[in-house]
Amino acid sequence: MGINRSGGELVQGTLDMLILKTLLRGPMHGYGIAQSIQSASDEVLRVEEGSLYPALHRLELDGFIDAEWGQSENHRRAKFYRLTPRGRKQLAREAGHWRQLTTAIARIMEAS
Amino acid sequence: MKKFWKRLSALWHRDQLERDLEDELSFHLAMKASETGDAPSAHRSFGNATAFKESCRELWLFSTLDSLSQDVRYAARTLRRSPLVTGVAIVALALGIGINTTVFTVIGSALRFDMGVDRIDRVVTLMPGETASTSRPQPTPDIWTLRREVKTIASLAAYRFTPVNLSDSHALPERCSNVQMTASGWAMVKPKPALGRGFVPADELPSAAPAVLLSYRVWRRRYGGDASILNQTVRVDDVPRTVIGVMPPGAQFPEDADIWTPLTITDALAASSQRGLLIFGRLAEGATLVAARAEVDAVARRVYPNRAGGHFVNVSPFLQMIGVYDSRALLIAVMFAVGFVLLIVCADVANLLLARAAARSREIAVRIAIGAGRARVIRQLLIESVMLAAAGGIGGWLVAVPTLRWFDGMTEGGHRPSWIHFSMDTRAFLYLAGVSIGAGIIFGLAPALQLARTDVNSAIKDGGRSAEGGRRGRRLSGILVAGQMALCVVLLAGAGLMIHSTVNLYAAPMGFDARNVVKMRISLSETKYPSPAAALAFQQTLKSQIAAIPGVVQVALASNLPLAGSRPFRVECEGQSPSQWDGRSPSVVRQPSPPTMSAALLVDENYFRTLQIPVEQGRTFTRDDDAAVVVNQAFAARFWPGEPAIGKRLRPVSGDAAHAWLTVAGVVHDVEQDLFQPLAHTALVYLPESSQPLRDSFVIARTSAPPQALVEPFRRAVQALDENLPAQDAAALSNFIEERRLNITSFEKLFTLFATVALLLASIGLYAVIAHAVSRRTQEIGIRMAMGGARRDIFSLVLKQGMRHVAYGFLAGLPLAFALTRVLKRLLVGVSPADPATFLAVALVLGAAGALGCAIPARRAVRVDPLTALRHE
Repeated sequence: MGINRSGGELVQGTLDMLILKTLLRGPMHGYGIAQSIQSASDEVLRVEEGSLYPALHRLELDGFIDAEWGQSENHRRAKFYRLTPRGRKQLAREAGHWRQLTTAIARIMEAS
Repeated sequence: MKKFWKRLSALWHRDQLERDLEDELSFHLAMKASETGDAPSAHRSFGNATAFKESCRELWLFSTLDSLSQDVRYAARTLRRSPLVTGVAIVALALGIGINTTVFTVIGSALRFDMGVDRIDRVVTLMPGETASTSRPQPTPDIWTLRREVKTIASLAAYRFTPVNLSDSHALPERCSNVQMTASGWAMVKPKPALGRGFVPADELPSAAPAVLLSYRVWRRRYGGDASILNQTVRVDDVPRTVIGVMPPGAQFPEDADIWTPLTITDALAASSQRGLLIFGRLAEGATLVAARAEVDAVARRVYPNRAGGHFVNVSPFLQMIGVYDSRALLIAVMFAVGFVLLIVCADVANLLLARAAARSREIAVRIAIGAGRARVIRQLLIESVMLAAAGGIGGWLVAVPTLRWFDGMTEGGHRPSWIHFSMDTRAFLYLAGVSIGAGIIFGLAPALQLARTDVNSAIKDGGRSAEGGRRGRRLSGILVAGQMALCVVLLAGAGLMIHSTVNLYAAPMGFDARNVVKMRISLSETKYPSPAAALAFQQTLKSQIAAIPGVVQVALASNLPLAGSRPFRVECEGQSPSQWDGRSPSVVRQPSPPTMSAALLVDENYFRTLQIPVEQGRTFTRDDDAAVVVNQAFAARFWPGEPAIGKRLRPVSGDAAHAWLTVAGVVHDVEQDLFQPLAHTALVYLPESSQPLRDSFVIARTSAPPQALVEPFRRAVQALDENLPAQDAAALSNFIEERRLNITSFEKLFTLFATVALLLASIGLYAVIAHAVSRRTQEIGIRMAMGGARRDIFSLVLKQGMRHVAYGFLAGLPLAFALTRVLKRLLVGVSPADPATFLAVALVLGAAGALGCAIPARRAVRVDPLTALRHE
C-alpha cells in the first residue's frame, strides 16, 4: 500500500517531510504534490493515494498546512494545500533530523 | 486544542466533510485519467477509494466515539433480532436488579446511623462493668471524677431515658419518651431546633426555669404544628415546663425521644451510676477505643484500689446500643442473599448468551475475517450485554420504586429509627446503575471472550458448529450452572433453617393461653403518686373498674408481659442439694448457695389464673401473702434438682444487703418469657407485686368478648380515674405476640422468597443448558436410537449429564452455606446452623428442582425421531 505502510514511523514521517518540502514551492493540490514528488525523485518515489490523502489530512489537522478550495489549471474545483508558518518550522525540524539520520547511516555503511 | 475545534466543526459539518472528501478524490482520479488517457487503469491503480475515505474520515472524527455509536446501533439491531432471548434476559435482570436495589436501599439506609452527630462511630458509652466471678455490677467512678481524670474521652455527657406523662389543655394526656440530657450532650447534636432554641448550660442550673424541647412529630401531632406553643407551659410528669423549642424532624440523638428535658447531675445522681444514667462521650482527637478503655480502667482502679480483677467500666461504641447495629451481620447476610440472586440471574443470562454465541460464531468469524480486531469484537459483544443490563436496570428501577414505596408505607410509624428513609435517592440510583453495568460486564465477559477466540477458518467452514469453541463454551456454561446451584444451596439452607426455626417457634408451648386477653401499660408518675401505697391504691381501683366492664372475666397486673423478658434478680437459695457443692460434706446441705443471677417477675395474685398458667405443685400466693413466692419449673429444677421446691426459702440480694427470706408456695408451668429462646426457659421467680408496687406495669385482662372490642372501654376506664394518665399500647395480647415474633417470621419470609426465586432461576438455567445440549446432540441421539439404543438409556444419559452439574453445585455450595448460615444463629430457634435435617432437605429440594430442569429436555431427547434427526443437516 505504498511507502506509508511498508516501513513504519520513519517512512511515514518521511512522507510528511516530503509533502512539506514540496509545498515550500507554493500552494498545490493533492495530485500535484504526488506528481511533483514523483518527478523530483526521478520516478524513484511513487506516492500512492492511499497514503497521500490521510497524510495531507493529518498535516492539516496538526496545523502544518492549510487547505483552500480553488480552481485547478483545467478549471475544476480542487483543494489546494499551502504551508503554514508552523509547517515551515516543522519542516526545518524534520529536515535537520533527517540529515542527522542519513549522515549516521552513511557513516556506518562506509565504515567497512 | 485547535485540533479539537477543527474536529468538532467537522463533526458539525459532517455532510460537508463527506462531500469534500468525495470531490478531492474524484478530482485526483480525473486528473490521473486525463493524464494517462486510460480511465479504467487509472481507477485500478488508484486502489480502494472507500478505504482511503474511511481512513481520512477517521482522522477527522472522534473515531472512538463514532465507532462506539456504530457498535451501539449494531447491538440494538442484534438484540431486536432475537426478541425472545432479549425479553427473557431483560425480565430476569429487571427482577434481579430491582430486588437488589430495594434491599440495598432498605439495608443501606438502616446501617447509615445518621443520628445527627458528627462521627457517631467515635462516640462511646461508659457503662458499669461486671467481673466474671460475681456478675455483679461494680461501683464506678462518678462522672465528675471521669471528667476530671480521663483525657482520651473529650466532653463527657450523660443522659437518661424516661417514660413520662405529657399533659396539657391541648389533647388527652399521653405517654411520651423523654430524654434528659446534660448540656454537654447537646453540644454534640448537629441539627439546630426548627423553632425556638436548644438547651444551653444555663438550663441545667437548679435555679433555671423548668424547660422542655419538643420533637417535631409531637409538635405536629399534638399541637398541630402551631408555632404559638413556644413559651407556653405543658406538664411533664405533672411538673409545669416551658416549651423552649421544637427539634427538626428526625432528631434522633441520643435516642428517638418525644421530648427532651435538661439533666442536672446532682451529687446523689452522680453517686449512683445505676439509676438509668448513661455516661457517654466523644473519643479525643487521635485516641483509640483501646486507649480509652485502658485509661478509664486505670482511673477506676485508682478510685477503688481494693477491687478485684475485671473491668470496672465498659467503654464501648455508642452504636452498640442500637438494635440494628447488633443485626448488622444479619442484614449483611440478607444483602448477600439478594446478591446471590442477582449472580444467579447473571449466570442465566450468560448461559443464554453462550447458547447464542454458538450460533453467532459464524457471524463473528466473518467480522474478524473482514478485518475487525478481536478487541473490537469483544467490545462489540460487551456493549451488547451492557445494553441488555441497562434495559434490565431500567426495568429494575420500575420494580424497585413501587416496592420501596410499599415497604416504606408498611413500616411507617413503627419503631423505625428516623434516619431510615426508604426511597430511591442518589445513592440508590448510583448503586442501581453500578449494579446494572457491573452485571452486564459479568455476564457478558464469558461469552464475549469465548466468541472472540473463534477460529476464523473452521468457524466459516463448518457453519458455526466449531467443535473446539463449542466444547469450551459448554464447559463454561456447565460451570455457570454448577455455580448457580452452589448459590442456591446457600439460600436454600438459609431459608430451610429459618423455616425450621419458625416451625419450632410456633410449636413451642407458650405455657399460657393468649387468646381473649387484652393488655395495656400504665405508668404512674412520682409527682402524682409519690408513695408506693398511693400507686397500689390506684392500681386496686383501676383493676376493680376494669373488672366491672362487661365482657371482662378477670384482671391481673404484671411487671412484664409474656415473651417480653423479665427483671434481673440476684437470689440466694436455701437448701441447695449437695450435688451443686462439689467436695463439700453433706453437713453443709442447709447452707445457702452463693448469690446467683436469676430472673423475676412481679405479678399480682390473679396473674396465673388470668393467663391460665397451670400450677404444677402447691398453690399461688394470695393477696396479703407477702412472704410467699411462686417459682417456675425451670427454677425448681435449677436450684433444687430432684427435691420438692415447696417450702424451700429464697431471698433477693441487692448490693451486699440481703432481704428477708421468702417461702416457695408453689411451682407453675414454664412460660415462654424470652423471645429469642422460646425453648430454653429462664429460671423465674414470681414475686407478689403488693410487696413492691410497680409504677410501670401491665394490666392484663381475660375477656369473654373479642379482645379488640374491649380496647376502647379500657381506655375510658383509665381516663375516668386519672385524666392525665395515658393507657399505653392497649391491644390484644395475641397481636402483641405476633408483633414480637415478626422479627423472626419476616426474615423467614424474606429468605424463603429469595431461595424460591433463586431455585427457579437456577432450574431455568439448568433447563436451558441441557435443552441446548440436547438440541446440539440431536444427530447423535438419532444415531444411537437408529442403532437400537433404548429410550431409557438416552433419557438417563441426558439426566445424568444435567444432574452432574447439580451434584457439583451442591458439593461446592455446602462449605459456603456452613460458613454463611452461622450469621443467622441469632435468629435460629432450636436449630443449629449446621442442622443435618435441614441440609438433607436442601439436597432433596435441589435434586428435585434439578431433575425437573433436566427431565423436560430429556423427554424431548427420547422423542427424537431417528429419521428426522439424521436428515437434520
